[in-house]
Amino acid sequence: MASVTFSKVGKAFGSTSVVSDLDLELTDGSMTVLVGPSGCGKTTSLRMLAGLEQVSAGTIHIGDRDVTALEPKDRDIAMVFQNYALYPHLTVRENIAFPLRAKKTARAEALRRADEIAESLGLGALVERKPKDLSGGQQQRVAIGRAIIREPAVFLFDEPLSNLDAKLRVETRTELLRLQRQLGITSLYVTHDQEEAMTLSDRIVVMREGRIAQAGPPGEVYRRPADTFVATFVGSPKMNLVDGTVTGGELRTESGVRISVGGPQASSVTIGVRADDLILTPDADGAAVVELVELLGPRAIITVRSADQQLTSVVEAAALTEITVGATVGLSARDVHRFDAATGRRLDA
Amino acid sequence: MTRRFTWLETLRLAVLAAAFVFVLFPIVWVALASFKTPEQMSEPFLFAFAPSLANWQAVFASGVFAAAGRSALVGVITVAISLVVGSMGAYVIAKYRAGGSLTRFGMLAAQVVPPAVMVFPFLTMAQALRMTDTLAPVIFAHLSFVLPLVTWFLIGFFEAVPASLEEQARVDGFTRWQAFRLVVLPQVYPGIGAAGIFGFTLSWNDLFYGLILAPGNAAILPVAIANFNTFRGVQIGTMSAAIMIAIIPVVIASFFIQRRLVQGISGGAVKY
Repeated sequence: MASVTFSKVGKAFGSTSVVSDLDLELTDGSMTVLVGPSGCGKTTSLRMLAGLEQVSAGTIHIGDRDVTALEPKDRDIAMVFQNYALYPHLTVRENIAFPLRAKKTARAEALRRADEIAESLGLGALVERKPKDLSGGQQQRVAIGRAIIREPAVFLFDEPLSNLDAKLRVETRTELLRLQRQLGITSLYVTHDQEEAMTLSDRIVVMREGRIAQAGPPGEVYRRPADTFVATFVGSPKMNLVDGTVTGGELRTESGVRISVGGPQASSVTIGVRADDLILTPDADGAAVVELVELLGPRAIITVRSADQQLTSVVEAAALTEITVGATVGLSARDVHRFDAATGRRLDA
Repeated sequence: MTRRFTWLETLRLAVLAAAFVFVLFPIVWVALASFKTPEQMSEPFLFAFAPSLANWQAVFASGVFAAAGRSALVGVITVAISLVVGSMGAYVIAKYRAGGSLTRFGMLAAQVVPPAVMVFPFLTMAQALRMTDTLAPVIFAHLSFVLPLVTWFLIGFFEAVPASLEEQARVDGFTRWQAFRLVVLPQVYPGIGAAGIFGFTLSWNDLFYGLILAPGNAAILPVAIANFNTFRGVQIGTMSAAIMIAIIPVVIASFFIQRRLVQGISGGAVKY
């Protein structure tokens, strides 16, 4: 077990910079999740830590070892790929035991440990099977088994749940978190799914265009997004953003949107309101009209239109008697985030 | 339910049948000739006759089997070298685009050059090394066309192996070479098997290089067969028996690799 430190790490493919000035520390035993849209450099960062991509600038340390120039095999890491990368010619047992072959562990001992791990992952009955005879979820567990048998210093996960169906994804997520906590191995996890990132991480790192947009505990990133990009990327449904002027506790836009927001006067401001914080009040003189109601069970996502702006709100299902498609509603915000309209940066950072 | 043939299907079957006869007829004719006496040989269209084993006995006594053994040895050595070198070459071309597209497609240039152009350098070198009429120059000459084809053949198979398999092995603690040998190579064993048989067949069938580089004591099978064309005329019966010995392994080999053959020759361009 060890901490991981990226210092001023950069990566360019030819003249295209993919990651630049990446400074990141993964504390010992923590689960850090890199999240961001495609092409933001998260997978490249993970692959640089794995040694599968060479860095163009900076250094990477695992513990106090500088691993920047080391081969993957010398970094003491284990990785779970998106497609699991199980060895097709080997059985489940041999797949799990395979990394021990590199450590020159005696075959009988390696297979015995593989059986133990297979058993603990619920794969006990499948050890003789080949990967092609397994379901996606089972293949995933074999890949995890193969990662943990090495007892590595660092675990790397490259979107390991994205090939699973929704139900299995949530189950496996919980299982993965339990396993990581139990083993206490420093982990770096890459995903484009912000919900996965929020639920799994001790620390979430939101990346954009090869740089860190914000890093911190998931709660903090959710509550105090550093800019409009993070604000809209983290949280579902995504945060409502409205550009306008605040006067008399009300946000107004030129096109006629009006939301009661409270707080000090401000001009040229971007106001962010999470869907949970946007309160709809049935009001015949209200500024918005309900366009769409999506029932989720106990709650519903409401899409309203006010002038040229589409906004979303989450309401209790009980409120749906009054909030129906076509109803006119007034808008007020329980909690607002203020961003600079020009730069998108948080104003009270 | 009875199925009725459309005219198009009928035409297709007719063409296939014609092709079948066209390809098979010479083989059948040679097989029959190997059992004919010299007198019966004067009737090319004699299909019903009392078979004679005289030709086969003559072939057994003639050293054709020794030549077949030498051909097999040349083929096995050529293929072994081609597979070791070719698999590594095909791998770096498939995964790392080594040499660019010029190498990838340029390696087939050897197939375009007539053997007549290549044979004299080989002969000159063999003479300089005092190795004429030994198997070594034949093996080198065969490598000149078997190795590029085996390499080309294997590229598509390596391209079908996901890059993440090798990366996984490297993360799992193995060197690049170990990852290649323990993880990537086993994925292409079917291709290697087919390439080996294909390469062996090419080597086995070659007459030209063998005839010029080792015409005497080290003659390979096709040369031995050609030797039945003597100053007394062509000994068709014994030659036919010898030809049958040359054909049988090729037919068996082709049967086993037919599907992989298409896959390999197309360089992985065809989905399978």
